[in-house]
Amino acid sequence: MKEALRYGFILAMICVVASGLLGGMNSLTRPKIIAQVQGEEQAALREVMPEGQHFEPIKKGKDIIYYKVNNKDGKFIGVAFEASGKGYSSVIDTLVGMTQDGSIAAIKILNQNETPGLGARIAESSFTGRFTNKNIQGLTDIQAITGATISSKAVINLVQEKAKEIQALIKNEK
Amino acid sequence: MKSKLIVNVSPHLHKDESVSKIMWMVVISLIPAGVAGVLIFGLDALWVILLGIVSALITEWIIQLLTKRRVTILDGSAFLTGLLLAYNLPAKVPFWLPVVGSFFAIAIGKQVFGGLGQNIFNPALVGRVFLVASWPKYMTTFTPPQNFDAITSATPLAIIKEGRILEKISYLNLFFGNRGGCIGEVCIFALVLGALFLFIRGYISWHIPITYTVVVGLFTYIFGQKGLFTPPLRAGAGFGGDWLLHILSGGLILGAFFMATDYVTSPLTRCGQIIFGIGCGLITAIIRLWGGYPEGVSYAILMMNAATPIIDRYTKNRIYGTKI
Amino acid sequence: MKNLFKEFLKGIIRENPTFVLVLGLCPTLAVSTSVINGIGMGIAATFVLLGSNVIVALIKNIIPARIRIPCFIVVIATFVTITEMTMKAYSPALNRALGIYVPLIVVNCIVLGRAEAYAQKQTVLNSLFDGLGMGVGFTLALILISGIREALGSGKILGYTLVQKFEPAFVLGMPSGALLVIGLLLGFFNILKGRRE
Repeated sequence: MKEALRYGFILAMICVVASGLLGGMNSLTRPKIIAQVQGEEQAALREVMPEGQHFEPIKKGKDIIYYKVNNKDGKFIGVAFEASGKGYSSVIDTLVGMTQDGSIAAIKILNQNETPGLGARIAESSFTGRFTNKNIQGLTDIQAITGATISSKAVINLVQEKAKEIQALIKNEK
Repeated sequence: MKSKLIVNVSPHLHKDESVSKIMWMVVISLIPAGVAGVLIFGLDALWVILLGIVSALITEWIIQLLTKRRVTILDGSAFLTGLLLAYNLPAKVPFWLPVVGSFFAIAIGKQVFGGLGQNIFNPALVGRVFLVASWPKYMTTFTPPQNFDAITSATPLAIIKEGRILEKISYLNLFFGNRGGCIGEVCIFALVLGALFLFIRGYISWHIPITYTVVVGLFTYIFGQKGLFTPPLRAGAGFGGDWLLHILSGGLILGAFFMATDYVTSPLTRCGQIIFGIGCGLITAIIRLWGGYPEGVSYAILMMNAATPIIDRYTKNRIYGTKI
Repeated sequence: MKNLFKEFLKGIIRENPTFVLVLGLCPTLAVSTSVINGIGMGIAATFVLLGSNVIVALIKNIIPARIRIPCFIVVIATFVTITEMTMKAYSPALNRALGIYVPLIVVNCIVLGRAEAYAQKQTVLNSLFDGLGMGVGFTLALILISGIREALGSGKILGYTLVQKFEPAFVLGMPSGALLVIGLLLGFFNILKGRRE
């Protein structure tokens, strides 16, 4: 019994020291980590809406549904939003920039795990570039990558579906 | 004076067979399929076949020299591996693809394990799977048949997989190989001819190939398109999957009769061989119907190759006088 | 001094954690897709090894033998968490590339193995050099494996294209490629070892 208490005490002491250390470390790195995350988010948003200057997240409860994008004069030019869906062998996450009139500014593949060399080529700019300046109604005309029809069609469909949904939401936005 | 009396261990009954002879017989039985492949896809196919064979032989030769073993490139086994690998490639591939595939098949699929008889997996299939995973673009770009009216370059199984409907392709077309596919797998007629030769000469038994084919047919009949579980689920849908199409397309016949029956990598006993055939059939059908790839023959055979030692262990023949 | 150098050197060749001790293969298989990931993983593991070896050697007389494993794990986990926080703050891209395998350094057998087999019986200085040697050995092994995989699997080294028009074998970038490369390298080093003996 006494032995067990001693063991517990020693282990507890080690844990206390470790927690203290980690607490200190956390307060040191936390602001930096938050800044990094925000910086990356901003950079990704810039990429899909190159003319945007100010990105305002529109939330529903805790989740961000889309970002309202204003240009440098403060004028509303469009939205950016995340769209994801099932591809050939993985879930594909994309970030989409859409202008007010419902045409795509650019898309970016955030996350995918498709077949290397075939489906994974959806992340290349030669494919994502095909979306630029396309109206969301005409997305189905986009040519699929040879040999990777399923992954390509999946991206087209998931972007189109989400885009239509968001467009309905922002109809009255000025 | 040397004694004329030769003291030897049993068995004393000799048959005029050797590993080498069997290998060459299998090669001969595969010739019609190759000829058909060349007729269907043109001379490109011939080059692929020759490159596959030659590079398999050279790889075997170099490795046996390096490891200071007896050079046995004329025993037919490397020749057969190269030939089978080439039969598993589309006709229009870059020249280095069969070369790399044969090298991998012989070096990693066979010699790393210690050479002929030691390999766990069918070397030709190891080579093919390596190529599919490495250069999927070339391995899934099929050329349409050259000398018939081209119907489609996509393989029938790929078309089904994408959910499109097969048009204008009859069972007769499939039987004579008028479709996109790999060089040696398309002409079922030629393959059956070769397989019959092997059956009649007794080099292969029915246990693996027939159970394999029947299980694929049965499974796709029950679960395939228009089969029992096709949505929407309705009462009395009944069976009705297109079993004949599944048997005649893809690499099933080539795989079942010429690769699953490989002596080294399949079970020894009859009972084991039947288990092996059923396993291959189930895995092939499951991959074809619900898997990511349109075709599953090579993966099915490789998986069952891996299971062969266990099958052998549990299907050992009882030695007379011992308990089980 | 010479002794310490020997402690350092043994981790690189004679007792290389990957090719001789065959420890820590899980992160080796998973992150060796590119050289930069390999180096990142190597440095992170080296840091953790150094820290845990030194601390374990320091407190070896305080901790009772019966609860040494939980004590070691707390020490190791602390260093791993510090590494992860630092990585997130200063190199988020690398952190994302290594993903779950950074926190999983906690259960990397090299770290616990060295604490158990070496640091708890040795002086602080010896343990420091042992940890450094093991870490460098692990990093070098990772660079070798990921170098082969990146060169043949994507045709690049550190992001630079090597040969124009080379068609990479994608399989080497996949998990099966990792098993293949590590298996062949292990066989190769065993042949070398067999020759030397």
